[in-house]
Amino acid sequence: MALLAGLAAGLWTQGCADDGRTPLVLYSPHGPDLLRLMEREFEAAHPQIDVRWLDMGSQDVYDRIRTEAANPQADVWYGGPDTIFLRGADEGLLEGYRPPWASAIPEASRGPNDLFFGLYRTAPVLAYNSATVTGEAIPRDWDDLLSERFQGEVLMRDPLASGTLRTLFGMVLASSVAETGSEERGWQWLRRLDAQTKEYILNPALMIEKLTRQEGEVTIWELTDMLWQRHRGRPLDFTFPSSGTPVINDSIGLVAGANHPQAARAFIDWVGSAEVQELAARKAYRLPARDDLPAEELPEWASQVLAEMVPAATDWALIAERGGGWMETWDRTVRGRGAE
Amino acid sequence: MTRRTALWPSLLLAGLLSWLIGYPLLITLFDALGLSGGLAGLSLEPFSRFAARGDEWLALWRSLWIALASTLLAAVVGVPLAFVFERSDFPGRRLAGALLALPVALPPLVGVIAFLFLFGESGFISRCVQGLLRLEEPPWRLAGPGAILLVHTYSMYVYFYLFVRSALSRLDPALAEAAAALGAGRRRTLLRVTLPMLRPALTGAALLTFMTSIGSFSAPYIFGGSFRVMTTQIVASKLNGNLEAARVETVALAALALLGLALLRLLDPGQELTGTVRGLAPKPPPIRGRLARGLTSTAAIGFTLLLLLPHATLVLISLVPPHTWTIELLPPELSWVNYKAFFSSLEKLRPVASSLWMATVATLGALALGFAAARGSLRQRRLGRRGLGAVLEGLIGLPWAIPGTVFAIALAATFSVAAPWFGRFVLVGTLWILPLAYLVRSLPVTGRSALAGLRQLDPALEEAAASLGAGSMRTLRRVVLPLIRPALAAGASLAFITALGDLVASIVLYTYNTRPISIEILSQLRLQEIGIAAVYGVVLMVASTLAFTLWGKEGTA
Repeated sequence: MALLAGLAAGLWTQGCADDGRTPLVLYSPHGPDLLRLMEREFEAAHPQIDVRWLDMGSQDVYDRIRTEAANPQADVWYGGPDTIFLRGADEGLLEGYRPPWASAIPEASRGPNDLFFGLYRTAPVLAYNSATVTGEAIPRDWDDLLSERFQGEVLMRDPLASGTLRTLFGMVLASSVAETGSEERGWQWLRRLDAQTKEYILNPALMIEKLTRQEGEVTIWELTDMLWQRHRGRPLDFTFPSSGTPVINDSIGLVAGANHPQAARAFIDWVGSAEVQELAARKAYRLPARDDLPAEELPEWASQVLAEMVPAATDWALIAERGGGWMETWDRTVRGRGAE
Repeated sequence: MTRRTALWPSLLLAGLLSWLIGYPLLITLFDALGLSGGLAGLSLEPFSRFAARGDEWLALWRSLWIALASTLLAAVVGVPLAFVFERSDFPGRRLAGALLALPVALPPLVGVIAFLFLFGESGFISRCVQGLLRLEEPPWRLAGPGAILLVHTYSMYVYFYLFVRSALSRLDPALAEAAAALGAGRRRTLLRVTLPMLRPALTGAALLTFMTSIGSFSAPYIFGGSFRVMTTQIVASKLNGNLEAARVETVALAALALLGLALLRLLDPGQELTGTVRGLAPKPPPIRGRLARGLTSTAAIGFTLLLLLPHATLVLISLVPPHTWTIELLPPELSWVNYKAFFSSLEKLRPVASSLWMATVATLGALALGFAAARGSLRQRRLGRRGLGAVLEGLIGLPWAIPGTVFAIALAATFSVAAPWFGRFVLVGTLWILPLAYLVRSLPVTGRSALAGLRQLDPALEEAAASLGAGSMRTLRRVVLPLIRPALAAGASLAFITALGDLVASIVLYTYNTRPISIEILSQLRLQEIGIAAVYGVVLMVASTLAFTLWGKEGTA
């Protein structure tokens, strides 16, 4: 009886899965809001393709594609900081493909050998609970997080899985190297941040939930998600740090040995086109990476962000090279140990 | 049956189990030693680097003591409960007794989230206590080893409760009566008759608890913070891209767990204890004295309600419309909107169907294999081949000694290569890899419960059937299976529930077509759809509970 039910359910799942369309599998950290939109629109434009996406953290995407390298399941690696893509490119996880929109992407946002291209831009921002943090207390720069006011009030997403925080920690250490010749100043700053931190939270949603429920007052989080939170009417807001924030090239690439390379290329071509970039900006708060879009085509929030955001000069090559080791050192010698 | 004919099926079975369980682990060990490319790559350097680092030893030590403490606490809660509910009668016993097993039907991830909303800093209970005592700060923080032990005890005492209850129900009361007639007091009867008879059940439950907690991931992952145990250390290393360290850590954890397994096996009774209930077991006597009965009843029901708080929390969260509950003690509004969203979308129902069929297939497979291995093991021992018996028993216990994530990675590595001559096929990305992983991970539950059931079975019964002319199939069908059905049913329901709520294996091996419920909960959480995530949690809880009570009923029939 149970066996029959099980088999019937299995067949049903199978029946739903195979309807003759070419499947296209996306691994992406972008979250269901954008992914659902892209699935719907792309399938409308390409009725013979069935878009299937799996949503996970950006470092998880890399980890999973690497785990599956012998038998790749993904077709397109859709999203994540280019530092993570660079590492994937070094390990042969990506296949070169130059989409027609490649030339509209600034030189600095392109991967080596056409292995990946920047698609959106995002950045770490200072996020806070707008019900408890008001007026003078609103943090304006990274150093404000270290003030007495926020002692034990900083919530942090677990930095290991988060591309955003990996990038920020990388910037802190890289700028220390650039300005003082050693990492020491950067480590000191990260230790002081750790001393301020109340809790590291594994899941971004739980972190936002805790921030909303006033378990903490401030955090460092990602621009796009904060725009969504504000849009949803949560009592949360954010500021751009005045000393500058590392602007992340959120990239896209073709997975090496993909099962459906044709459909994958069609998707990459489509998703980077001017119309779809504008669509993502209007409906899902994605800041386009291409710089040839006329300003009046972009929604109001985008021009506001472009006006307020201060991009920090960042040594991306150094972050890509040492980032993994830095995060391991952070995990083993800084996390939970405070400033001493 | 002759000695020779009894040998081959067991050897074949040992081969099959080695291929499914031992082989992937061996491949992981070879990879850790750098042997995957041949002997030339052999290097012990990663191991010496591991040994030189204090934090690795600390994580190992923490894994060990957390596992030992969890086992102890689970036994302290579970065993007395089993005695109270099996040995005495009081109003509400039936219902409360069934509800007591429910924590096991709460999948780790869902349970941890419910705990957060209940005992977390802004959780319901914490705010109540804070308000009552007029505290400035939340009364406690749900973090560190205390929180991990709380969750472990909550979800794992059920192993002791179920195993001991099932063993008690099969214990011939005539034994205790005989002891009493011979002048033994209640204490002496308990210590010298009842407890020794319960030893297979106790060691079985202790093994399951120890192995589950040493491989436990969800609780240390969410509550651990900087309190690292080995499972979270492995995931951190892997996520950091340091595969070398992750492999060595995996091997170290497996070694530690195997050591624990070996030590616990020393407690296992060497000889097989047998005993059968002749005739019908009498109903447990009602507690004498109205006051005592009332108190027991109240305490039992009160305790049960306390245990059901996480379930209630989950239901409550599932009724909260998105983004409405912030700092209030209770949610300001409740509605069915999350359920409407859930049932109106075929896409949202798909993970439920996937989880159901995969868990069903895995449970049936694990039941058959676990029973065959348990029976083979006992039979080989009886025939004097202790080695083969021990190998079979060791193989079915092995998956508990290996953290789920690691097992999943080992399976992924082994079955992503097409080398049929080396027993390797490409299963990754197919429909079958996840049910296979669930099956392997469920083997210890079904195997141990079959073993516990078979050990209490008097071999004279089988011999009698054989001497009366029944073939081995007929003996199996008419004598053995009906007698150990309670044990098998308990094992099967645990296996089904584990597979249904599995996160650690799924997160490595799932494909688009086999997304199980737990993965969908995670992606709903990523979308901050906590209400929808809770609806999935409720569905998972209801399905597990149904399976549990249905099979539980079958078990007591």
